Amino acid sequence: MRGKFALVTKIIFLGITTAILALLTESAFAQKQYVIGTFILVAILALNLVYLTSISIPFKFFLPGILFFFGFVIAPIFFTVQMSGYKYQTGNYLSKSAALEQVLNLGAEPDAAGTTFDITVGKTSSKEDAILVSDIANDKYFLSTATKRTEVPKAAAKFDANGVAIAAPNFQSMTAIALAANDAYSRIHYTYQGKYYIAIESQNAGGVFRQALSYSANTGILSNSVTGATYVDNHRGNFAKVGSPSEILSPGWRAPIWFENYTRLFTDHQIRTPLTRVFIWTFFFALFSVLSTFALGLLLAIALNRKMRGRRVYRSILILPYAMPSIMSILIWAGMFDSDFGAVNSILHTNIHWFQNPSLARSVVLLVNLWLGFPYFYLICSGSLQAIPSELLEAAAIDGANPRQVFRKITLPLLLQILSPLLIASFAFNFNNFNLIYLLTGGGPTQTLNGEIAGATDILISYTYKIAFGSKTFQDFGLASAISVIIFVMVASISMYGLRRSKVMETFG
Amino acid sequence: MNNWLRENLWRHGVAIVVCLFSLFPLYLVILSSLKTSGSLQVGSFIPHEISLDNYRFLFHSPKTPYVLWFKNSLVIASTVAISSVVIGAASAFAFSRLKFRGKRLGIRLLLLVQMFPAVLALSAVYVIMERVYTFAPKIGLGSQGGLILVYLGGSMGVNIWLLKGFVDSIPVELDEAAKIDGASAVQTYWLIFIPLATPVLAVVCLLSFIGTFNEFILARLFLVEMNGRTIAVGLQQFIGGQYASNWGPFAAGSILASIPIVIIFLSLQRFIVNGLTAGSVKG
Repeated sequence: MRGKFALVTKIIFLGITTAILALLTESAFAQKQYVIGTFILVAILALNLVYLTSISIPFKFFLPGILFFFGFVIAPIFFTVQMSGYKYQTGNYLSKSAALEQVLNLGAEPDAAGTTFDITVGKTSSKEDAILVSDIANDKYFLSTATKRTEVPKAAAKFDANGVAIAAPNFQSMTAIALAANDAYSRIHYTYQGKYYIAIESQNAGGVFRQALSYSANTGILSNSVTGATYVDNHRGNFAKVGSPSEILSPGWRAPIWFENYTRLFTDHQIRTPLTRVFIWTFFFALFSVLSTFALGLLLAIALNRKMRGRRVYRSILILPYAMPSIMSILIWAGMFDSDFGAVNSILHTNIHWFQNPSLARSVVLLVNLWLGFPYFYLICSGSLQAIPSELLEAAAIDGANPRQVFRKITLPLLLQILSPLLIASFAFNFNNFNLIYLLTGGGPTQTLNGEIAGATDILISYTYKIAFGSKTFQDFGLASAISVIIFVMVASISMYGLRRSKVMETFG
Repeated sequence: MNNWLRENLWRHGVAIVVCLFSLFPLYLVILSSLKTSGSLQVGSFIPHEISLDNYRFLFHSPKTPYVLWFKNSLVIASTVAISSVVIGAASAFAFSRLKFRGKRLGIRLLLLVQMFPAVLALSAVYVIMERVYTFAPKIGLGSQGGLILVYLGGSMGVNIWLLKGFVDSIPVELDEAAKIDGASAVQTYWLIFIPLATPVLAVVCLLSFIGTFNEFILARLFLVEMNGRTIAVGLQQFIGGQYASNWGPFAAGSILASIPIVIIFLSLQRFIVNGLTAGSVKG
């Protein structure tokens, strides 16, 4: 009975999941998102195969985990690596076909006289987008759709006070609200005459244009029939003018440039200088944070490493900074150091601009990180101190070592040996401590005068974030990805080294 | 007496000084949440007047849909915590107990990849979810559904790793006995492992809850709408560098938001400290 119930539940659950995922696949393919669509399709097949047959018992356990892991961890990592080989930035964000479509649309040239007409937008009786055009100068009226133009006899039309035709047989005008809801009508080329067409300029005006740019898929040449210029793919994500490669058409598309994002890090002065500075600070920041939090934590652990009155109270207070949600604490600290209204200035009776001066801002960052981090090492060190065999310490004391010598020669080396993986993990964590920098200083202060985006407290990861998302006008995903890949390699090597030293790796060699 | 002083005075001294350091911002923020004026200015360390204006503002001003933010945070964090433990526990069980080809490779991959900080893949996640948006807006960029999926995927590596450690510590004799009695792997999982591991799963679930509650940057990128924000994003955007005018309500809001987390943390202290030595770092 129990088995049957489980089976029915399983089938219902699987059925619902399959149905939802199938719908998703279908709409993904409809929107030409082939990679994502294929991934979901594979997920459907795998789910049904694994849970309807007994092909593999382990897979029954970790298939959902694996799917999420691949979809949201592995895939983004691969994608990051891939993007790092592309020119992938503002102006080069679209796929090539989408960029080409936009370039062609922008390549429209108005006719010689710059003719415009009063129009009324609506639909034909067969629900096709149409405009009713009033050529008032020539007293001619016609109905125009994407495919054909039909003359409307003046007697059949109705006019408003300005003489603009607003109603005609076989035509239903649309309200402004309906137009605002769907702007597909505005992108249609309505038939005019010959090569010329009418393009919507506003809800009641249209201009006469012709397509100046044309693209030949065979030759890959884009030519402008008005100026006679030709453009070819410059293999860097843009169409460039033949004979004058610096003249490029916008928008461009994301194009493979292989290792250029990486070489730019070392050769482009504008990137190399801030990057070097940021890298040095990141390293110093992470190192100092680990050392300071460890030192304070250890000091406390030693001080409280014996039965004494009030120890439980001390302990509860000391771990409060760690128990608080770090985001809240960071924002609170940021407010306290606010130069005009912050508590720190008010207590010190000063008016120091903490976040305007590079050295002060850095000191504040280090101080706040000390506050956030010392309880962690306090907890760790208290635990580890108890793990050191007391015989060792007693033996040393009997041999005549004073407490300081015992600490220096026995306790500290042992602790460092036990804790080195955690110290390394903490270094790696602080190396990427994005929240602290972003919320406390925003990476600043920044010398914005020369267009520099890296601030004095920016660490690599916050600098990378700024490159990708920091500016509303220019975002460079390709470059940001390249730095991300480098950070990953660095952090992974540091952490692997740390893990090798710990017991974790011994289990599986 | 002299001996006691030498032995203990410095210990109390160190403890008191650091306790003051750790309480300093917390005390000030509680103080300013109870003040009427908006500023952070502290005239004295002892409050002259206690008012709940800031708390009232939080719940009644349209500038801060605090209850909604709180609800969003709770919904998102608990969905992620529960689902990731349900999915992660099964994977961890397989990695710990079952034999299969590629297990060692899988564990190494898991270990390596969980070191990749989520922020690094931010642009990639952004672009992927932007594409998902084109065909499924409810789980794409800008939706809570999408954010939950991203969190769930991102937490998978760490959680499987953490849970595997716990599973390893459950004596293997128990499931071997079950096997001899003729139980399949699936039965062992449901009838032996799950009842034994429930407390541990609850702890990992709460840890994952705290981690998600604390996450900022993905939430900031995903949740643009005022009413859809989490508490972290809502408060950060509300304060927006304008500490002068918004400090009081912010202080009140951050205290209220911190209370549940601090309670969870303090009650789980013992487990968290054990987990710490396993190498996890709380964000």
